Amino acid sequence: MPELIITKHIDVPGIDRLSVYRQYGGYEALEKALREYQPEEIVELVKKSGLRGRGGAGFPTGMKWGFLAKNEPRYLCCNCDESEPGTFKDRMLMEKNPHQLVEGVIITSYACRVSTAFIYVRGELAYAARQVQRAVDEAYAAGYIGKNILGSGYSLDVIVHRGAGAYICGEESALMESLEGRRGYPRLKPPFPAAVGLYGGPTVINNCETLSTVPAIVRNGADWYASFGTEKSKGTRIFCLSGHVKKPGNYELPLGTPLRTLIYDEQYGGGILGDKKLKAVIPGGSSTFILGADKVDTPLDFESVAAAGSMLGSGGVIVMHEDTCIVDAVLRMTEFYRDESCGKCTPCREGTYWLVQLLERIEHGHGKMSDIDLLLDICDNISGKSFCPLGDAATSSITSSIKLFREEYEYHVREGCCMVGPKARKPAAAAL
Amino acid sequence: MAEEAKNDGLVHLTIDGIPVAVPPGTLVWAAAKQAGIEIPIYCYHPKMPPLGACRMCFVEIEKMPKPPQTACTTPVSEGMVVHTKTEKVLKARRGTLEFLLINHPLDCPICDKGGECDLQDFTLRHGPGATRFDLRKRHYPKPIPVSDRMLLDRERCILCQRCTRFCSEISMDNGLVMINRGYRMEVGTAPGEAFDSIFSGNTVEICPVGALTSAKYRFKARPWELKRIPSICNNCSVGCNVRIDVRVDKIMRQMSRCNDDIDDGWLCDRGRWDFDYVNDVQRLRTPLVRRQPGGALEPAGWGEALGLIAERLRAVKERYGAAAIGGIGSTRTTNEEAYLFQKLLREALGTPNVDHHHGFFPGLRDPLTGRPWMLTTAIADFERASHIVLVASDPYERQPILNLRIKKALKAGARIYVVNESSTELDRLATRVIRLPQHGAGAAARLLLEAALRQENLRNPREEVRARVLGTFQETRQAEALCGAETTAALRELAREIAAAPAALILYDEMATLAPGCANLAPDLQALAVVTGNIDRPGAGVGPLFEDANSLGARDMGLLPDSLPGYRPASPAGLSYQEMLTSDAVKALYIMGANPARHLADGNLRRGKEFIVVQEILLTETAQQADVVLPALTYAEKDGSMTNVDHHVQAIRRALRPLPGARADWEILMDLAALLGHPWSYEGPEDVLLEIAAQHPLYQGLTWESLGLQGVRTGEVEVAHA
Amino acid sequence: MISEQAKQRMRELAARYPVARSAVMPALYIAQAEEGYVSRAALEAVAEVLNMTVDDVESVATFYTMYYQRPPGKKVIKVCNSISCYLRGCDALIEQLERRLRIKRGETSPDGRYTLLTTECLASCGTAPVLQVNDEFVENLTPELVDRLVDQWEAEFQAEGQSQGRSPAGAGGC
Repeated sequence: MPELIITKHIDVPGIDRLSVYRQYGGYEALEKALREYQPEEIVELVKKSGLRGRGGAGFPTGMKWGFLAKNEPRYLCCNCDESEPGTFKDRMLMEKNPHQLVEGVIITSYACRVSTAFIYVRGELAYAARQVQRAVDEAYAAGYIGKNILGSGYSLDVIVHRGAGAYICGEESALMESLEGRRGYPRLKPPFPAAVGLYGGPTVINNCETLSTVPAIVRNGADWYASFGTEKSKGTRIFCLSGHVKKPGNYELPLGTPLRTLIYDEQYGGGILGDKKLKAVIPGGSSTFILGADKVDTPLDFESVAAAGSMLGSGGVIVMHEDTCIVDAVLRMTEFYRDESCGKCTPCREGTYWLVQLLERIEHGHGKMSDIDLLLDICDNISGKSFCPLGDAATSSITSSIKLFREEYEYHVREGCCMVGPKARKPAAAAL
Repeated sequence: MAEEAKNDGLVHLTIDGIPVAVPPGTLVWAAAKQAGIEIPIYCYHPKMPPLGACRMCFVEIEKMPKPPQTACTTPVSEGMVVHTKTEKVLKARRGTLEFLLINHPLDCPICDKGGECDLQDFTLRHGPGATRFDLRKRHYPKPIPVSDRMLLDRERCILCQRCTRFCSEISMDNGLVMINRGYRMEVGTAPGEAFDSIFSGNTVEICPVGALTSAKYRFKARPWELKRIPSICNNCSVGCNVRIDVRVDKIMRQMSRCNDDIDDGWLCDRGRWDFDYVNDVQRLRTPLVRRQPGGALEPAGWGEALGLIAERLRAVKERYGAAAIGGIGSTRTTNEEAYLFQKLLREALGTPNVDHHHGFFPGLRDPLTGRPWMLTTAIADFERASHIVLVASDPYERQPILNLRIKKALKAGARIYVVNESSTELDRLATRVIRLPQHGAGAAARLLLEAALRQENLRNPREEVRARVLGTFQETRQAEALCGAETTAALRELAREIAAAPAALILYDEMATLAPGCANLAPDLQALAVVTGNIDRPGAGVGPLFEDANSLGARDMGLLPDSLPGYRPASPAGLSYQEMLTSDAVKALYIMGANPARHLADGNLRRGKEFIVVQEILLTETAQQADVVLPALTYAEKDGSMTNVDHHVQAIRRALRPLPGARADWEILMDLAALLGHPWSYEGPEDVLLEIAAQHPLYQGLTWESLGLQGVRTGEVEVAHA
Repeated sequence: MISEQAKQRMRELAARYPVARSAVMPALYIAQAEEGYVSRAALEAVAEVLNMTVDDVESVATFYTMYYQRPPGKKVIKVCNSISCYLRGCDALIEQLERRLRIKRGETSPDGRYTLLTTECLASCGTAPVLQVNDEFVENLTPELVDRLVDQWEAEFQAEGQSQGRSPAGAGGC
């Protein structure tokens, strides 16, 4: 088993309390950061570590910090609005080891000379929010947050803010709108948050897992972190394995670990449920393109997954076995985007509404053969035309599934029922 | 040549091969417009920041990632190469239009917007010929009222957010908002809440489809049947530019006609919808004459009526002298009519008694600046103010569109101070609200001025003001007592801010000067601006906000007892408005377009009066008491000029054929002058304007043609001191 | 009616943020905790404290799915039906709940006890299928577990009903 970084102490009883967290080296990284490093040196350290954003886009974290405009006040937003279907790592990090996150938030705030940091926790995750709030309260009481932290002269305020049910708020600019007390519409870019973000100030925004990784990098060094993973995708990350596997769950692995290992290794997924055949995998949350079973040997790093035709995304690996009706599964995912579209832009709002109706019609056996190409054309009219990436995301499963499993769509139109799965026509009935 | 072009401070680009040069920061959409290329838009509105929501304005820009881009969110850059008609662009636009149409009901035949609908028009020019959508449309109950003046048809709505963004960005009242999200998103209000903004009609106007409709115009006309005439709103002193839309000699609606210097493209609901009196069936259509004293007003011919007026006025003059005749003019008739009115009274009848209902301003001019009493700044320059102080002034209620300009200043960083007896709409956004006791505005002005004078490093310490104010500390004591300690302290704090402000703008309502204890409101606030150096600096200024469409014009034209046209002193001075109404020495009243009965406690104008003439459009309380009533025309039925609150002289134009039987006030005055032995030779208002221009320093050189469609702001010419 | 204490908490929150308006979401939670949903009184209280219009507050509240527009049942059951739970058979469990609670998804039972909702991915895909009862998770659902849950809720309500029936306050309640 490879060395764990972020989840190393995740199962230590009581690690969510400050006293236990400290027994396991908690807040030593913060002390080291404040004592031994100038803020810019931490930015350099993180740049050198090769850490890339764990929220979805995989942007180099240190570089993002380096872009921050010089004016003040500056803000930090920690994006804990985890909502991507198939992703459940941030919830675990918040619920089980909230101090690790809080420590990461403080170090990052120091590195970026931020005076107010916000931790935006998804509304549905009430327990996670309570855990993070308690950790913040404990950190305040211990002098890790507040005025003149550990005598360093550095002061920071941390506010835990709960969302209230809107996937779009995981998009960084929508999250800031939401924090400012508005509807979570994404903002025009440019200006980018690093220049004009929260309350108009320069803002650094990072995902929960990204910031949870920072303390370990400060404690052990950039070279140590960079020694995990591949040349371009350094370090480890948490893969959220779900769907038709025997042992779904969160597994922290070095980047570049083959997909097959994650799914089939006894330490991880343990193979396909019921030992059925693998049909398809969504490698990075439901917004990424579906990969066929032939891609099961793809190494899970940013570059290899892109080369295979998808994205590493948020690390949500969704596995489907041979009895999965792809049309029904895609319909389910498309409903998500229809319901979570903020409604601001036309293609996403109206397009997802139309796509769902078409997919329903096909799934329920009333589709037309021309609907399949119509789906593709609607996707083309959404993708790249919508205001933010949610529109693009809504089309990924449709276009990739038609490419991989077109015969299943055609079967639905021709036969009026599913080709595989529980709703497939039984051979006896077919004979009638 | 090429180098010269590069140094012109502009950004150079080509759009569809056409070279364009525009100022930096211009959006590609606006640059294309300048080049004569239409890029369709729904969410974008030139008076609001870009939103980028509708995804209609796609273009392709070379060397930019991921085509297409949206033209309304992309600023130009040097050397940019834009294509608006590539296959990628056209397909994307067709895609967006198809999306917009999947949930749009095709009820165009009964839609008010049909014929001027951007969805219809852009579908014709940029859309797909047919839809591929053959599923269930989204349905809502057909129009729901959002106020008693507006209806909302959510099925027609394309969710472009123009209306809701008007409410958040421009009127800042958040009256209409987006409710729900995604495909369930709709425009609306909180449950049971009405959209009762005075600016609500603007949302109907900027709605690109027929989603928001006006109850008043609903089903009244098809756009192509309308005759559209550019004119000026007659409902307050702002002088918003309007387009009067007429069908078969009836006003169907008034729309805004953007004048950046005045209305910024907006029109309040009063301006938009309060024109019923023009179409009123009760309009006077024939002169009325009271043939017996105490008898009823009876219809008469114009000859009889005018003859009677000439005869009776001559009789009064012979019996009591010319000074027994008084003339009360109007704040809503044109400059030309006001000018002829005082000319008739002063020259043809020989009386010095000319006035109208107005605020109280001592003397013809403010003695500190030597200028006539009026706003010292342009409306457009409000945006440059650092502090806006509203003393006894509530533009939302009285000059609504100025409220929007103040909000624009607020967005640009201005601090707003409301000093008022009652709450105002701006309180919510104000930096500070200072609540005054009843009739406390005069005291407040006094305290502001007194505190300012005590500031060190005062920019313009004027000895005469210091002597007047600091020498009469008793008045300051009284003001303190009236306002109370807390308010006094707040006012003194405000005075310090004004004294230090980069550009403070001090506004007060004209009519507030008439309240008890407010006789010095105007001079004190004027002095406050002068001593604190808040005059003649960009964004700074002071002045009254007048009441009516031509309140300032009436003053300019000498409808004042002590002033001839051009603020030349009248000698001897005549009786004031109040004196004329109450003095027994005045036996005959000539009233044009005014309703003084409303300003008398018992409404009785007849006391001591032997003869009253009224020119009016309706049988008002005043007209009912007249001996002769002459039917006049409204602003929509005649030509002429009006002068707004920041001294824009603007043209109103005849939009309707005159009501049969009624005549324009200037025509009536000319006929009467002739009967009184003064045959004037004006062919029309144009000639009267030329005569005004020849003798009035504020109208110098104006001609009817020079007023154009947007008017001219005059007043920059130095006025000769008397 | 929103209590003065609640409004005071909203004011304190508003002061905590750089801009008062940022407190609109937590303030709505506070109001909803008192009213059960975003009632007219809730809208007015939040609008008053944060100097917003009620329409503006309504606009924010209706964007987010966790603010209820109508009074929900005493137990709000949210069942995830996104892709990972779907692959693990959530649809059958939703139907089972519909049968047991005798309401369809999206409905509140006439006795006001239950509201059954389907919801988007709850970040519990590794323990799918999953539901939340009043925002607390129940994971690794099976048909047996669903039956046990419903039995438990029914028992709770029954106990509550009996204790209320006995209490003098309940008997003379208004």
